[in-house]
Amino acid sequence: MATVEFRNLVKRYGSVEVVHGINLSINDGEFLVLVGPSGCGKSTSLRMLAGLEDVTAGEILIGEAEVNEVEPRDRDIAMVFQDYALYPHMSVYDNMAFSLLYRKTPKAEIRERVMETAEILGLTPLLDRRPKQLSGGQRQRVAMGRAIVRKPQVFLFDEPLSNLDAKLRASMRLEIKKLHRSLGVTTVYVTHDQIEAMTLADRVVVMNGGNIDQIGSPEEVYHAPRTLFVAGFIGSPTMNLLPARSNGNSTLSVAGQTLNVASRFTPPDEDRDLVFGIRPEDITLSAEDASGSEIEGLIDVVEALGPDTLVFVNVGEQHLIARVNPDIHPVTGQPVRLNFNIEKSHLFDARSGEALS
Amino acid sequence: MTRLFRLKRNRELAFVWALLIPALIIYLFYRVIPLLWNVVLSFSFWAPGKPLEFAGLYHYEEMVFFDDGFWIALKNTGVFMLATPVAISLALALALLVDQKIRGRNIYRTLIFLPYPMMVVAVGIVWRWLYNDSVGLINYGLRTFGIISEPIAFLESYRFAMISVMAAAIWQIVGFFMIIILTGLQNIPPHLHEAALIDGARAHHRFWRITLPLLRPSLFLCVILGVIASFTSFDLIYTMTGGGPGRETELLITYIYKASFTLSQFDYAAAMTVVMFALFLTLATIANRLSGGDAGKVDITD
Repeated sequence: MATVEFRNLVKRYGSVEVVHGINLSINDGEFLVLVGPSGCGKSTSLRMLAGLEDVTAGEILIGEAEVNEVEPRDRDIAMVFQDYALYPHMSVYDNMAFSLLYRKTPKAEIRERVMETAEILGLTPLLDRRPKQLSGGQRQRVAMGRAIVRKPQVFLFDEPLSNLDAKLRASMRLEIKKLHRSLGVTTVYVTHDQIEAMTLADRVVVMNGGNIDQIGSPEEVYHAPRTLFVAGFIGSPTMNLLPARSNGNSTLSVAGQTLNVASRFTPPDEDRDLVFGIRPEDITLSAEDASGSEIEGLIDVVEALGPDTLVFVNVGEQHLIARVNPDIHPVTGQPVRLNFNIEKSHLFDARSGEALS
Repeated sequence: MTRLFRLKRNRELAFVWALLIPALIIYLFYRVIPLLWNVVLSFSFWAPGKPLEFAGLYHYEEMVFFDDGFWIALKNTGVFMLATPVAISLALALALLVDQKIRGRNIYRTLIFLPYPMMVVAVGIVWRWLYNDSVGLINYGLRTFGIISEPIAFLESYRFAMISVMAAAIWQIVGFFMIIILTGLQNIPPHLHEAALIDGARAHHRFWRITLPLLRPSLFLCVILGVIASFTSFDLIYTMTGGGPGRETELLITYIYKASFTLSQFDYAAAMTVVMFALFLTLATIANRLSGGDAGKVDITD
């Protein structure tokens, strides 16, 4: 087990810079998830940590040692790939034993460790099979077994669940979490799936266009997004983001209406473009004639998901989503009033994307 | 008739046969009938214009017990076949080289592949000129660098004729083998190499444990194609040496040609052809078995 640190890490391919000097320090035994859309630099950062990509500038430290020039095999890391990267011509046993083969591990110990790992992952009856005789979930498990058997300092996961169907993904997520709890190995996990990020991580690192936008616990990135990008990326359905303007007296103009936000934040005095954010679950619906409601709209689409219902509302030019109690049965085409829970709303500078609250 | 075509399955089947029949007719007249006629001929006495007479195993006995020309040709074919492993090793090395991210690798690939589609007769004539003892480039080069003092008539020499012909054969086929192996290499997912890299396997471990096993289907395809080539390299031998000097480069295929079209022993040639066919079938089957029955298969994902 070890800490991992990125210091001003830069990656450039020719003249194109894909990672712009990121700083990150990962605690010993921590489960850290790098999340972001494709092309945000998360996989590149992970591959630099693995030693599969050269570092253009900056430093990577594993433990106390700088590893920029250290070969992948000497970094004491193990990696699980998206397509599993199992050796198709070897049995499950040989796939797992492969990494011990070149580390001068005695044969008896290799056997012991492979058997032990297979037991943990429920792979014992499959040890003689070839990868192509396994289901997707089983292959995924072998890929993890191959990483675990080494007892490395750091686990790296590169979108390991992307190739699985939704049901299997949920159960593998759980297994990865349990595994991390029992092994306690420092883990860096790359995904574009925010649910994986929220459920697995001790800390989430949200990346955007080669920069780190926010580092924080899942709760922090969800409830206190530091940028407009994080606000829009984390959460499903996404946060409602509405253009807003400050009226100067603790009120905002949002979607043609005036909102009093004094209880939550003081909007800037000067006149500039702002974005008001509110999560779907922080909107409640009330009948048209109810008093106190601030924004009026027309119900466009209603999606009953079971545990809750999503209501798509058109407010002028704007489209909002509200997540409401399934006992409410809104009718398409009907006018409604929206109540915003101001205590849970967010305000961003439209130009810089920074949170103002 | 209309009843027959009412079922969708029958209509589809009729369409399939309609597409197949033209090709099958040609195949029947140019392949199946000659092959069967060849087998019949091998058990008969026959010459153009003469009636067919049953000969039993006469030609086969003649071949095995009395014709040392056949045995020499057979031995030479075996020697000539050794060009295949050499060509495959060379092609593997070249494929690994041009698979690297090097500048102009497409130019190298094209240059190495270029000899393959060339007409064999042209290749034979060019190489005959290269090997020539008075104006040949090879002799000129060897003498310029002082490696030899007297010119060597490669193709007229008992010592060098076979190896010279084999070199030309390797030169022509190596590019084709390289392309086959290259395709195999590019079908190995790059993540496998990365996983092995992290697993601690050094370059030579990765070559022996990852690359080579996964190339097996491609390599065995080359073996089979090489075996075919060594049985059918008539044009190259015929243009370069005509089987000489003496019988030094006489292969089964050239010997059969001479038996039929020079000596008009069509029946005897037919018997030798049957033997050659049997040998070839055996070798190809063995090669395919060794490859796990998937020679040439490039899909290794599932």
